[in-house]
Amino acid sequence: MAHTQGDGGTMGPGVPRRPWIVAQDPGVRRAGRILTAQVSVPWEDLEPGPLGHRVHVVDYDASTKTFYRPAPASLLEGDAPDDDLILGEPSFHAQNVYALVMRTLGRFEQALGRRVSWGFRSHQLKVVPHAFEAANAFYAPDSESLSFGYFRRDGRPAFTCLSHDIVVHETAHALLDGLRSRFMAPSSPDQAAFHEGYADIVALLSVFSLTGVVEQLIDHAAERDRSRSARRGLIHRSLLDEEQLRRSVLFGLADDMEGETAGARVNALRRSVALEPDPAILEQDVFLEAHSRGEVLVAAVMRTYLEVWTRRLRALGAIERDYVDRERVAEEGANVADQLLTMVIRALDYTPPIHLTFADFLSAVLTADAEVRVDDRRYQLRATLRTWFGRYGIEPTAATVDGTWPRSDLQLTRHGVRFDSLQADPTEMFRLVWSNRRSLQLDPSAYTRVSSLRPCLRIGPEDGLPVRETVAECTQYLSVRADELRRYRLVKPLGVDDATPIVLEGGSTLVLDEYGTLKYEINNGLPVKGNAPALAVAQRRLDYLAEQGYFEAGSSVAARLSSLHRRRALGDDSARAEVW
Amino acid sequence: MAGSRRPKRPTEVRIRAYNVGFGDCFLLTFRYPAGDRHLLMDFGSTRLPRRNGPGSMVRVAEQIRTDTGGKLHVVVATHRHADHISGFAGKAGEVIAALEPELVVQPWTEQPDLATDARAPSSSSSPGRAAPSAGRGGGKRLAAAAAVSRLADMHELAEYVREQGVRSETVAGVPKRLAAQLAFLGEENLLNRPAVEALQSLGRKQVYAAFGSRLPIASLLPGVAVDVLGPPTVEQSAGIRREARTDPDEFWHLAASAARARRGGDGQGRLFPEAPVARQVPQEARWLIPQIERMHAEELLSLVRILDSALNNTSLILLFDVAGTRLLFPGDAQIENWRYALRDAPEAAEIRARLATAVLYKVGHHGSLNATPRTLLWEALQEARTDPGAEPLVTLLSTLAGKHGSETRGTEVPRNTLVEALRRGSELHSTEEGTTSARFWRDLVFPLDDGSSA
Repeated sequence: MAHTQGDGGTMGPGVPRRPWIVAQDPGVRRAGRILTAQVSVPWEDLEPGPLGHRVHVVDYDASTKTFYRPAPASLLEGDAPDDDLILGEPSFHAQNVYALVMRTLGRFEQALGRRVSWGFRSHQLKVVPHAFEAANAFYAPDSESLSFGYFRRDGRPAFTCLSHDIVVHETAHALLDGLRSRFMAPSSPDQAAFHEGYADIVALLSVFSLTGVVEQLIDHAAERDRSRSARRGLIHRSLLDEEQLRRSVLFGLADDMEGETAGARVNALRRSVALEPDPAILEQDVFLEAHSRGEVLVAAVMRTYLEVWTRRLRALGAIERDYVDRERVAEEGANVADQLLTMVIRALDYTPPIHLTFADFLSAVLTADAEVRVDDRRYQLRATLRTWFGRYGIEPTAATVDGTWPRSDLQLTRHGVRFDSLQADPTEMFRLVWSNRRSLQLDPSAYTRVSSLRPCLRIGPEDGLPVRETVAECTQYLSVRADELRRYRLVKPLGVDDATPIVLEGGSTLVLDEYGTLKYEINNGLPVKGNAPALAVAQRRLDYLAEQGYFEAGSSVAARLSSLHRRRALGDDSARAEVW
Repeated sequence: MAGSRRPKRPTEVRIRAYNVGFGDCFLLTFRYPAGDRHLLMDFGSTRLPRRNGPGSMVRVAEQIRTDTGGKLHVVVATHRHADHISGFAGKAGEVIAALEPELVVQPWTEQPDLATDARAPSSSSSPGRAAPSAGRGGGKRLAAAAAVSRLADMHELAEYVREQGVRSETVAGVPKRLAAQLAFLGEENLLNRPAVEALQSLGRKQVYAAFGSRLPIASLLPGVAVDVLGPPTVEQSAGIRREARTDPDEFWHLAASAARARRGGDGQGRLFPEAPVARQVPQEARWLIPQIERMHAEELLSLVRILDSALNNTSLILLFDVAGTRLLFPGDAQIENWRYALRDAPEAAEIRARLATAVLYKVGHHGSLNATPRTLLWEALQEARTDPGAEPLVTLLSTLAGKHGSETRGTEVPRNTLVEALRRGSELHSTEEGTTSARFWRDLVFPLDDGSSA
């Protein structure tokens, strides 16, 4: 059988659907057949397309001006599809993208405990599985869509819409944009790198959370072992240390990613896994460039994954001398990936709304996880994550012992604030924020708004009962002339004219507990006089943006992700310093 | 050969810049006691000026005939873009061909067997007949083979883009401006076939040069030395810094196979010929179709922009040294081309020092934002002027404002900030100033150290 069980669940109305997908890429085969998996997606009453409440698959090919008839409203859930169907049926491709996008959305909603919107007005993301003949795939907010190209090698088509990690990568861009719209804005080398790095992490962990994919990689590593034990589904411990698994599983998947869609994307996994730890790595010129920098983030997370997994395997009892159960090994791998994925998704609620750094992200992951999973003895994910980030030179922003954000001790004035609408009404939240502008160190002369307000429900770690919390993003903008910067104790960057308009941006994420009390204030606010470290950060950011040409007349900051991917593929980083 | 007995060194060099609007056309006249020798550096335009210009390329060609007294010694075509070589085609081209140039110099990427014999380059395909200084045998052949297939792929893609540009003018969703840009880039810039073919048969001898090539000009232009500083060979540029993220050959190969599939073969080339097709676009998808069409066109345009800029980077960069007077002609080279000579070549420091003392800089790419490396070149040129006794810097700009780019996006050509810097730091001569329709050129004359003592 070339298919594998992914998530748990049973078939039937009202319970999750279990559509088939291509597990990784049609190039990845087992017993000569394309490796497939069944995944769970929430049940819904679909229209042909499929067209559901969050995803609309539109199978139009601009290169041949063909509109394929919309795929039936039912999904293929019974027997595993054969290779001819997988490669030759556009309706299966429609199902594949529908299932992967919905599964990824489901993972985000599950981890965050609420519905997650896309980064545009509509509720339905358009997904185009055969948009055009080009070796590219991208998220485009202006057309509310994910477009997947296809290409031909030696006359045979290869489909980016059948590659698990490509589909999830693009979906992650769309989800991240929905959760933190300012992360696509220019700010710092870290923020520029974050979108790609984060999308890669979500995609890779999503692939590793399929037991079947992990099993296939382990099998490959163990295929030379012809012993009786190996034939009985066991695997020798010597194949399971960190270095061995790095080679077999991480590089193994990287090899698989070369599959059918090689050439359509950068092998982020191979590049990341090959990065040796170095605390000074992010200071090197090469790693100031967004894509290389993003790969450092991926490396830190994937190394954590590997270490935690190997540790779990050491605890696994041997069935025969030095042989352990292969399926259990794979299950542990998938579990760790899933847990880590939950952590990185939850972290988003604890990031500042603007000017994100890798260090902020680390503090956010640690805090988000400690909030709901107090006891980390089983996986030691937080400690391991911190260690590996440290090895790549990333230390948490928060100076607390465990690297989590410090609890806020601000007593907010709640005079006139109606508590019951605080969770849902941004205007009510703004009232709270405005009443506390001084203690929250907001600049009253700046343009200020509550840019998002999200109630969320978590399961409390102490008693397993639901906990209601509220996450609000508050952003501030100040528009000044370059020569006015000194009023804010900032120095005008070299080469910027006095009259150049400069927008200073700042923001805080406020996390309120079930009583409306401020738990965390995660602040990347406007530079405040007297706050020397914040001023230094703001100055570095200004200088960086000036160097990047951001303040030059009309410089376009709305570079589409398509060209980002293309530039990534070609390694194009024309030196700004040489341009007029 | 025109001229007679062997003159030893020129006593003067005159650079005549013809106002061809958006394009380049320079005649370098080297004055020897025994007579003049002429080198034509580019002859192309994508838009002639409305006033103060020649009116037609044929008239420019005829003027060149007059100015050379009917004989050209050397022709340099820096790269294949129309604004540098369009004049070599058609009637104007016939006039130039009749001047029987002895030597035609082009970048190594234009070598015909490189461009047409896609998979099996002969050993002569190694860049530059006069071999460049860098490179080892086996590696070079591999690199050349890769370049060969890449160029063939690029040409295939260019052909496709031209057709698509023409087609997309009628497709809903594709803005007219975008379609026009596609058609323009495909037709005029990437393919430019008549001029490319005319150049292939021009001249008694042809040389395809790369960084480090030695040009056989000793007998044609005695006393004139030319350093070829660009373009680097594939091997030279491939060694640069960090490994490429994906294989650029693979990248172009995939782009080209898309073009092939669309252009020829199986009619519409539909992906799933058997699959049922919707007779009508369903209502709920109607909004999206024009969006996909637009993204498709943009996708193609972004690919083609990369290609277009890749072609600028095939530009020859020539540094003339005439009795110690250095003249720099970089065509349209952008930073990626410059980078090898100025930063990555083993002798980069020495090259930078030599360049800094140039007295004439032909402003790269009509004054666009990314063809005059700000720190590596311009600041070095400025720095050298601080030496006591340094000769003032003269810059020469051939351009037509308002044709390309936009001020609001900071992409206008010529770029205002660059022009300001040129005015401040040099004596700037622009073809847009001081020409008339009767006298559509301007001259720069550099007297040389007494070279006629022999």
